[in-house]
Amino acid sequence: MRLGRRSLLSSLPVLAAPGTCRAAAQTNEPLRIATIETLSGPGSGVNRLYSIGTRQGVAMLNAAGGFNGRPIEFREYDAQGTTSVAAERFRAAAADGIHIFVHGGSSAIAGQLIEDLRRHNMRNPARRMIFLNTGAEALELTGEKCNAFHFRLTTNAEIRVRALVAAMRAQGALGSRVVSINQNYSWGRDMEGAITAAAAAGGYEVVERILHDTNRIQDFSPFAARIAAARPSAVITGNWGNDLALLLRAVSAAGLRISFGTCFLDLPGSLSAAGDAAVGYYQAEVFNPIAFGAEGETMMEEYRARAGTFPSTSEVKAVLSMQFLGKALASLPPGTGPDTTRIAAALVAAQLRLPIGEMAIRAEDRQLIQPLVVSHVVKGSRYPIDGTDMGFEPVGVVPGPEAVNPVQASCRLERPA
Amino acid sequence: MTASVAETPMAAPPSRSRAIGVALGSLLLLVLPALATDRYLETATRGLIASLFALAFNLLWRHCRLLSFGHAAYFGAGMFATIHAMRAAEAGSLDLPLPLMPLMGLLAGAVLGLVCGALATIRTGTYFAMITLAISELVHSFGPQFGSLFGGESGLSAMRMPWAGFAFGDARQVYVLVLAWALAGAAALWLFGMTPLGRTAFAVGENETRLRFLGMRTHAVKTATFCASAAASGLAGALLAVANENVDYSIFGGGASAAPVMHTFIGGAGTFLGPVLGAVLLTGFGSIVGQATRLWLLYQGIFFVLVVMLAPGGLAGLVAAGLRRSADGQAAKALRATALVLAGALLVTCAVVFAGETLSEVLSDAYSAARATTGMRFPPVERLGLAYSPLSLPLWAAAAAAFLGGVLLLRRAMRP
Repeated sequence: MRLGRRSLLSSLPVLAAPGTCRAAAQTNEPLRIATIETLSGPGSGVNRLYSIGTRQGVAMLNAAGGFNGRPIEFREYDAQGTTSVAAERFRAAAADGIHIFVHGGSSAIAGQLIEDLRRHNMRNPARRMIFLNTGAEALELTGEKCNAFHFRLTTNAEIRVRALVAAMRAQGALGSRVVSINQNYSWGRDMEGAITAAAAAGGYEVVERILHDTNRIQDFSPFAARIAAARPSAVITGNWGNDLALLLRAVSAAGLRISFGTCFLDLPGSLSAAGDAAVGYYQAEVFNPIAFGAEGETMMEEYRARAGTFPSTSEVKAVLSMQFLGKALASLPPGTGPDTTRIAAALVAAQLRLPIGEMAIRAEDRQLIQPLVVSHVVKGSRYPIDGTDMGFEPVGVVPGPEAVNPVQASCRLERPA
Repeated sequence: MTASVAETPMAAPPSRSRAIGVALGSLLLLVLPALATDRYLETATRGLIASLFALAFNLLWRHCRLLSFGHAAYFGAGMFATIHAMRAAEAGSLDLPLPLMPLMGLLAGAVLGLVCGALATIRTGTYFAMITLAISELVHSFGPQFGSLFGGESGLSAMRMPWAGFAFGDARQVYVLVLAWALAGAAALWLFGMTPLGRTAFAVGENETRLRFLGMRTHAVKTATFCASAAASGLAGALLAVANENVDYSIFGGGASAAPVMHTFIGGAGTFLGPVLGAVLLTGFGSIVGQATRLWLLYQGIFFVLVVMLAPGGLAGLVAAGLRRSADGQAAKALRATALVLAGALLVTCAVVFAGETLSEVLSDAYSAARATTGMRFPPVERLGLAYSPLSLPLWAAAAAAFLGGVLLLRRAMRP
């Protein structure tokens, strides 16, 4: 026991010493970017796409000269599908001197990371980190959890619904009776709220609201029956994965021909599982290779030359995010080190011109304002996906300012000093 | 009859070598903050928490022979209780210093454990396991429903508040706090086995019918043991809450319940410290190997299968057997067996890692990208610091030879 106590005492001065402090942003330091993503285990099939895309995006930035005359360093951290491991990886990334971390796979993990970011930046004002969110859409990330160093470079429930409603209405595919069917967790509830909120602008009435268990239901025929009983003109759903595929099959099996507005029909596995039942259904997303015209084609081919395959939408979103970051980095005067406070300010001011419009950050809540392509599923597409002959044909583009949701009242940004 | 009671659960190494082991281990834990970087301290913190959780789980199994498949419920209850307390402290409505926060988890685990334990321990064996599983699934299904209690998928966050000049902002201070509580928890679990209640619980595991015949209220004994186990699990959860400052309902899922089971049976359920060995090994494995390769789950699975097949007593059982042999004057024989096991394990590991990494590289997105850019059908693989052709016959032959040789050595070592 005496031995133990002595060694405890001798280690006390070390314990009380402040954490090893790196000199803030030495100008010759390379910029370090990392993804914290689920790369192994369940969920990795879809989530790692964001990491693959980010890797390619960083490689493109490096091909264009990197940052500050040095190549940008890139690393990957495996969140292993849980928030607990994600928290551990966040601290590993902070210890490794990562300046910018990227996550897109899950709103739950993003919710953990944004809290870790808040605490880290509060405790280490000399080496703050930046969180680039390439795919987590929970409203709270730009609501009550919003953070000046978190940038949501993707859509959220309200943006998706506003774009879907605007384009479907213009197509005459919306009608006046809409059914909302969603998964019973924050994303699905966000979607239901958004569908209800857009009713006045879309000129429809929400005739049925369904929230069902997430990823547990094997038979959607009772829900198909409820949808049929409501006699809707259109259905809008935020479902993804199995819940989307099974829902579409049940609706098709029940012989219903109603137009569907969806958000994740383009994720790997959805179209192949839904089969022909998906033809004609709508989807709102930032990227569509056909809508991007010649530039879209170049992007697809260039990506294939680098990565061997055409990119999924998730990969393109990650690449676009890196290009947006590239714009911000290019706006900094030469000789600026990887100073995250200045990079964050540059991100707020950055603009990226896409063939369909401009991408820019809204300063009040760090939500990206971007145009959305609304497309529908056709057979015999030029860019077939998911091993089917189906793909997405654009039907309209909704400009960013029209699609973006109003700033949430719950967001109070603490501006960096 | 008392002889058999003393023998079976106590497949422990001789007391002197055990004392040396414990002393060395504690010393290492105490000087670790001075040696390790923040990253490894993080991993060590996780290892401590997983160890305490596995010890708590094994309390039930080792004493009462009750196998719980739902201990995540009590671990999670401890986490949520602690996070709520920390949030209250952050908001200024609760005046509890951070070092005492884990008590909230202990309390929550104990209360939930008392209620659920009284229910679950009415049955034994498979039925008991099913009831514990059902309870944890029930708690898990509440997760998405009560937003203010569980905080939805992104969960609840809190911040460690400074106390007495400690900011608790860096990994060292958190490590010391977790270490203190984990050691206290482990000591309490050890002492539990010494109490009359703990001895009776052992007897329940041996022959419950006989105890009941003697007039013992075995249900009460099992409930009390369950409650103690749940309280220690809650304490472990509380420590994770303090370290993570965040919790969400996914902690109630099957993965969290499976972890202590894996740790315990890989480490060795028959000895008190066996689960610690398993927890430390697997936590370190997930953290270090998990960062180096995506195949870590595969390797962990192979490891689990090998341990269960070749060493049913777990790793601690192997160590104990070796130590007992050398104490019996068969030191040379024990040493030879150890060398054989190590050599065999090394050879098998090399072969499996080579095959696994090469195949995963060939199937990876980066490789298909390399295939597209170089135009070669099988461009060289760059893995493990080498560049080699994935079709190299000599390398594959060497791997196959290493695998076969390793298995032969292991079988030879296991022969009595």
